[in-house]
Amino acid sequence: MSGNDMAHHVANYRKIFVYLLIGTVLTVTAYYLEFNVQNSIAGAVFVGLTIAAIKGYLVAANFMHLNSEKKIIHWILLLTIFILGLLLFIPLLWDLNLMSHY
Amino acid sequence: MEIPYNVQVREDTGVYNSKLGIWLFLASEVMLFGGLFSAYILLRTGAPVWPPIGEHGSIAHLLTETIPHATFNTVILILSSVTMVMAWVSLKMKDLSKFRLYLGTTIVCALIFLVVKYFEYSHKIHEGFVPSHDTYMALYFTLTGLHGLHIIGGIIVLAYFFGPGIKMWGTEPERFTNRIEIIGLYWHFVDLVWIFLFPILYLLN
Repeated sequence: MSGNDMAHHVANYRKIFVYLLIGTVLTVTAYYLEFNVQNSIAGAVFVGLTIAAIKGYLVAANFMHLNSEKKIIHWILLLTIFILGLLLFIPLLWDLNLMSHY
Repeated sequence: MEIPYNVQVREDTGVYNSKLGIWLFLASEVMLFGGLFSAYILLRTGAPVWPPIGEHGSIAHLLTETIPHATFNTVILILSSVTMVMAWVSLKMKDLSKFRLYLGTTIVCALIFLVVKYFEYSHKIHEGFVPSHDTYMALYFTLTGLHGLHIIGGIIVLAYFFGPGIKMWGTEPERFTNRIEIIGLYWHFVDLVWIFLFPILYLLN
């Protein structure tokens, strides 16, 4: 990589650092603003996890260079995320199953 | 015998072997933390009150007090991710003194994170909120404890590259740069896990 490429990378890392700090401030602000709807914290959970997901994407895409990574790495991660999705979905099925008994 | 593909890229995968290895390891780490996140969802959706009320009442008031510490730790970990990637950039620019500066800063950030965590743990334990107090505390100590172990593991490897491991730069600079990229990927993953732990354990209660 040339010096110019590296300078571009460094500028990008600084930008991402600022975005991550803004994301952290927004997450904490959301907590104090209380997005609670009808005595449920679903709104707060949605806002908090959405900001966390955006921050996670910024770290993975830029610091871990996933935006310029090879296909094999993307496939490994897609498979992992798919299985993780199933794993996270199982407790919801459990919950729905319990609700159907009432 | 020389280990193949630790610098040059394999034609079939398009990456050098250790990069493929670390991504497979990180995939297994996603499943490890994913299992615990799954347990969190199951226990939380099944609890009538969250955080549950135990022998010493609810942890809720103490969590509000610790939000500034946890926010500080989040900023510290994000900063350490930036210094980690800058350490790799310094090697690409063949600037070893800057590499030392950035890697040293990453290690200091990691140590600060652990010190803050130590005070947080001791405060909670002193107030009687031990892992057996309720399901929230069990999850809190399991998740943050496992994450803390990853931080300690990272510090050991980073310290090795800061100390004796740096010798490789003199003989095989490209291989050393790849090693720093690999530990960097691990370190960013540890940061990424904390990005999710922070709202889940401290804010969304």
